[in-house]
Formats: sequence, structure tokens, C-alpha cells
Amino acid sequence: MSPTTAPRTAEPGISYTEYGYTNARLRGMRARLLKRDRLEQFAEFPDLHQLIQELMQTEYAPDLEEALIHGRTAAEVGEALRLNLVRTYRKVFGFMNGEAAEICGVILGRWDIFNIKTVLRGKNAHLSNDEIAEGLLPVGALSQADLDGLVRQPDVRAVVNTATTWGLPEAPALREGLVEFQRTGELSDMELALDRHFAERAEKELAHGNRNHQMARRILGIQVDIQNLLMVFRVARANLDASQAQRYFLPGGVDLTVETYGKLAALSDVDEILDGLRGTRFGPVLEEVATAYLESQSIATFERALEDYLTRKVIAMGGTDPLGVGIPLAYLWSKLNEVTNLRIIAKGIAMGVPTERLKRELILV
Amino acid sequence: MIKKRLAKWMFGSTLVLSVLMPVMAFAEEAQAAAGPTAWQTDVGKAMAAGLAMGLSALGAGYAQAKIGSAGAGTLAERPEVSIWIITLQALPEIIVLLGFVSAILISG
Repeated sequence: MSPTTAPRTAEPGISYTEYGYTNARLRGMRARLLKRDRLEQFAEFPDLHQLIQELMQTEYAPDLEEALIHGRTAAEVGEALRLNLVRTYRKVFGFMNGEAAEICGVILGRWDIFNIKTVLRGKNAHLSNDEIAEGLLPVGALSQADLDGLVRQPDVRAVVNTATTWGLPEAPALREGLVEFQRTGELSDMELALDRHFAERAEKELAHGNRNHQMARRILGIQVDIQNLLMVFRVARANLDASQAQRYFLPGGVDLTVETYGKLAALSDVDEILDGLRGTRFGPVLEEVATAYLESQSIATFERALEDYLTRKVIAMGGTDPLGVGIPLAYLWSKLNEVTNLRIIAKGIAMGVPTERLKRELILV
Repeated sequence: MIKKRLAKWMFGSTLVLSVLMPVMAFAEEAQAAAGPTAWQTDVGKAMAAGLAMGLSALGAGYAQAKIGSAGAGTLAERPEVSIWIITLQALPEIIVLLGFVSAILISG
């Protein structure tokens, strides 16, 4: 294993389940997050210069100062936001109690999968190292240095070999998908193996425990359901048959069983899938954006709506138990959501996107 | 781990009580006939006053430990609310004062 990929552990001196200090501190940090009306105000700014000026009055100032040395474009603002997110997550993990650090570490493991997939896709599409690095978010167990090491590899095979040499937990899944990749040149099997590895590992790590572990399992289950649901839409769009679709099913969801998934995947059309989802927790969420989907004809519309649903759900969990893991999870999600919104605003302003459309793109909770 | 410890504690206390109960019942019967002596009353009062003071102090200590850790967390991020935290930290002292008053009333 590379020296920087150490598992997260609690700070010495903080009791394993002492949530008083952790949660009180996180509530203090949450009070400093940007409010909804402030973000809407940012979206109305005519140029990037004004946005930078306003952000300099917030806790993003030190990161902006560092990133803006290279220029004053949306890319530099994005880099500053990324730096701030990574710094904030590192700070939070520095004072979290042991149980919260373990649970949040498992949940954030999905970012390791996201980052590895980004590197693999970038290498497969022959993107430059800088272009790949722009899309990475080192908030999981893999640090910036680890990801830089992976990005520096010349091709997909070398990325897999490096992951194996480092002994990354994802290495077996990568090796499993490599055989098929070398035969077909497609990354889908490798990505599927990674997703399956994450779902199985996280479920195992959260299998036993108290109500905090149960809460994390619920979040994980909703994430898995969302991935399965998106796969159902992709299968319908690609006209794959149900037996082929079964290969892509991820275990560990809460609402979408393998039978439901099979039934939905057998449907040929998005409208039928939406009808089939009526009565489930995802039905109303997807119904709401059905018109937007008809206009855009893009599954990204559903992806965005489901991500929005998950974000709201996790943030709502923060209000349930004042001495539970809900508050740390809700803070991590809120912070990520804030940074995502600011990145959208910065890019939107730079590209001259109309204010109303920009506001529609934000997830405001 | 906690369940195991609790089970051990419950088993131990049941064992002690099963031995002590008949002895105490027998002593009580003998006592009822004679009534408490002056030194017994004094000892009883002193024990009750000690318990009132000691248990209330333990309760306050527990509350202050919890408030203290949460307060430290809040102060690390929002030093402007320090007055509130100090006030909250001092509140459980009332429990000790009540225990103290109870102890005086018992022993007096």
C-alpha cells in the first residue's frame, strides 16, 4: 500500500462513541455554510469577478488566494473550491470520534470508486493528465498524492498494475475487469466490478452495529438503489434484454430487489419504467422531472433528480439524533453540496448561462 | 461487552441480596421490638446526608462532563457564544447545591 493511503482512525484522546464534542463542533461549522438565499444571490452576479469578491468574504478566502495566483478564471475558482472541500474534510476527520470516522470513511469510499473510474475513463479516452486531475475529488481514503500517482500512469493496464502493487482494496476488482477490457476495449465490466466491490465491502463493514451503522446502511442502500435504477434506464435506452441487464444488478439496495429490477429492466420504454416505479419512494421524485426528461432526452436529468433526493435525505438525517452519526454525515453532504453549487455557479457565470436556468441547476436545501 | 458486564453485575447483586435479605429481615424483626438507638439514628442520618451530597455531585459531574465536551466543540468553531457555554456549564452546579441543602436538612 502506498504510504499516504492509510485507513482513517480517531484522534487519540477522543472516545470511540463520544459524539458530544464532534457533533457540537460540526453544528458550529454548519452554521457557517452558505444559506440558500446567498447562493441564489451569487447566481445573479453578472461576472466572475463579483463572485470572487463575494467569496473572498467567506471561509473560501485562503483557498481562493492560493488558487487565483494562476489566473482568475472559472477553472481556478473550481480548484479553490476543491482545495477547500478537501481541507474541510481532512479537518472534520481530524476531530471526529472513532465510530463516526469509521462510518463516514465507509460511506465516502464511493469517492475512491468515482476517482478510480475517472482515471480509467481518462486514460481510455487518452485525455491529458491535467484534464483527468481536474475531475478528481480526493475526499475518500485515496489522497491527492495517491491519485496523482495513478494519473501519471500511461494507460489503463498500468493503472491496474499500480493499484495492485500498492495493495489497494479495489485492486482485485480492477484485475477482474482487466481481462474483459483487454478483449473488448470496454471499461463497463471493470466499472461494474468496482461498484460491486464497493457495495459488498461497505455492506460487510456496516453489517453489525448499532443504530448509527443502520443509518449508514440505509444511505448505502439508497445509493445502490439509485445506481440500479439508472442502470434500468440505460438498459431501456440501449435496448438490452432482461438477461443481459441482470448482470449489471448491484446487491445491497433497500427498495429495489433483484425481482423488481428484473421486471423494470424487461420494460422497453422510459414511460413504462416510470409507471412501474409508482408507489415506490423514487416514483414521485422521477415523476417531477419527467417533463424535463422529455425535453432533454437525457438520463442525466433522472441522475440529477435522484442525487438531489439522496442529498435531501442525508441532510434530513442530521436532524434525527443529536448524539448520532447523522450530524457528521449530514455535514459532509451539505458541504459537498455547497461546493457543487458554487462550482455550477462559477462555470455558469463564466459561460453566460441565464440566471433562471443557473438557479434551476442548483440543489438548494 | 456491556451486556456481559451488566449480566455479571446483576448476577452478583442477586447473590449478595439473597444472602443479605434473610439476615436483614431477621435484624429488622429484633430492631422493631427495641426501636432505633441514638447512635443508629446518627449513623443513618450521616449516611443519608452523605448519599444526598455524593450522588448529586456525581450527577452534576456527569452532566458537566457531557456539557463540557459539547461546549469545547462549539467554542472551537464559534468562540462568540462563550458566554452561553459558560452559563450552560455552570447550570448543573444547582444539582450539587440542592444535594448540599438536602444533606444539611437531613443531618440537622
